[in-house]
Amino acid sequence: MFSISSFCLRGLVCLSLLSLTMCRWERFVPEPGANSPTYRPVYISMASLQTLALTGPQPLKNPGKIYVKDTYLFINEVGMGFHIVDNTDPANPRKLAFVGIPGNTDMAIKGSTLYANNGPDLLVYSIANLTNISLTKRLPNVLPLPNQFPDATNVRFECPDPRRGYIVRWEAAPVNNPACFR
Amino acid sequence: MNPRYLLAGLLLIGSACQKDAGTPTPGTGTGGSLARFTIANDFLYVVKADGLTAYNLANPNDPQKTQDTPLNFGVETIFPYRNNLFIGTQTGMYIFGLANPAQPQQLSFFQHVQRCDPVVAQGNFAYVTLRGGSGCRFGGPSTLDIIDISNLSQPRVLRTYPMQSPHGLGVDGELLFVTEGDQGLKVMDISNPLDAKLIKFFTDVRAFDVIPLRNTLLVTAKNGLFQYRYREAVTAPDGTVTPPAIALISKLPIE
Repeated sequence: MFSISSFCLRGLVCLSLLSLTMCRWERFVPEPGANSPTYRPVYISMASLQTLALTGPQPLKNPGKIYVKDTYLFINEVGMGFHIVDNTDPANPRKLAFVGIPGNTDMAIKGSTLYANNGPDLLVYSIANLTNISLTKRLPNVLPLPNQFPDATNVRFECPDPRRGYIVRWEAAPVNNPACFR
Repeated sequence: MNPRYLLAGLLLIGSACQKDAGTPTPGTGTGGSLARFTIANDFLYVVKADGLTAYNLANPNDPQKTQDTPLNFGVETIFPYRNNLFIGTQTGMYIFGLANPAQPQQLSFFQHVQRCDPVVAQGNFAYVTLRGGSGCRFGGPSTLDIIDISNLSQPRVLRTYPMQSPHGLGVDGELLFVTEGDQGLKVMDISNPLDAKLIKFFTDVRAFDVIPLRNTLLVTAKNGLFQYRYREAVTAPDGTVTPPAIALISKLPIE
C-alpha cells in the first residue's frame, strides 16, 4: 500500500521529488503552524557508531527509558548509552558506571544477560559482574531505521540525510525553513 | 537474653543474607511502557518500525530469531502482560498471544486507538495514551483511553479522559501514573475505571518514562531521575479509609 510515511522514509528522494512540497512523516497530519517548534537531527559518523566504551559514572544529561533489575537501574542516556545505578536505597541512588553505546535507546535483561541496541544493531552483554560487563554478541540490523523523526509532534524538522551519518537523537533548535513535519 | 544482643544478631543475619553487590539474580527485569524490547519467558521480543521479531533465548548469549511478523508501519512500543504482548503503533493497538512463544499469534488489532503512545495492561483493562496535535487523529485532543480487554480478540473503549501531552504510563493496583512531558506527572485513582480521578499532579518534573514497582515510582525527566514512594488507599477494619499517597524520595539532577 502506498503511504506518504513510507515514501518519506526515503528522505532525500522525498526532498528531491517534492522539493516544493513539505515532507509529511505521518499520513493525514495537518501542517504545523509557522511558529511551531523546530528540531534538527544530531548525527554521528557510521564509523563511530560502533565505538563502545565502559567507563566510570558519567553526568546525567538527557535521560530516556528506564529498565530495572533487582536493585539496579539502567537509565538510558538518549543516543549515548546507559547509566548503571545502584538503587539499593531509592532515597540515595548511586551511579556505578556508564556503558557508552552510540545510538542506544532500549535495554532488557534476563538473568545476567543484557540486551541493548547500538543504533540498528542488537548487542548482547554478560553482566555477571556489573562493574565489568562484557560484550558477547552483535546481531546486525535488528532495529532498522530508528530515530527518523523527533519524539515531539506537531513540529517541523530538518529532514534526515543518511549521507551525514546515523541520527543519535533530535534537539530543539532554530532551523531555517525545515521541510519535514509530523 | 539482652535484647540489644538479639537486635545485633538480627542485623548480622540481615546483612549476611544480602546478596553480593553486582551479581544479578536469575529472572527478567522490568521495563516501562515506552520500551521496544521486552522479555517474556525464554524469548526476547523486539518491535521495529514495521514489525515484531521474536528471538529464542535458550542460549541467552546467542539469540535465535524464530519469527518476523510484519505490522502496519509506525510501531512504537511493546508491553508484556500475562501471556500476551500489547503493541502500540501510530494506527492502533495490536494484541498478540504467546501460546506458542516462538511464534506470537495476533489476537486483535484495535484500530479505534490511533496514534497509540503507548499501552499498559492490568486485569481486564488496557490503558492507552494518545498524544494529540498530530497523527491520524487530525490534530485531535490528547487522551487516556481505558479499554476493556476481558475479550482479547474484541477490545472496546470503556472511557476516554482528556490529557495534555502524555508520553509514558504505568499502572499498579488502583493507581495509574501518566507522564505529561513538560507539563508534569499525573497520578490517577483508577479504582473505578469509569470514573478515574486525578489525585496528584507534579508540575515540577518534565516527565518522560515511568515505572511503578513495589511502591517505588521511577521517573525519567528532562530535569533528572526522580523517585517517589507511593501507596494505594487503605481501608481499615472499622471502615476508615486512608487515601492514597505519593511523595518524592530522591532526585538525581541533570548535570
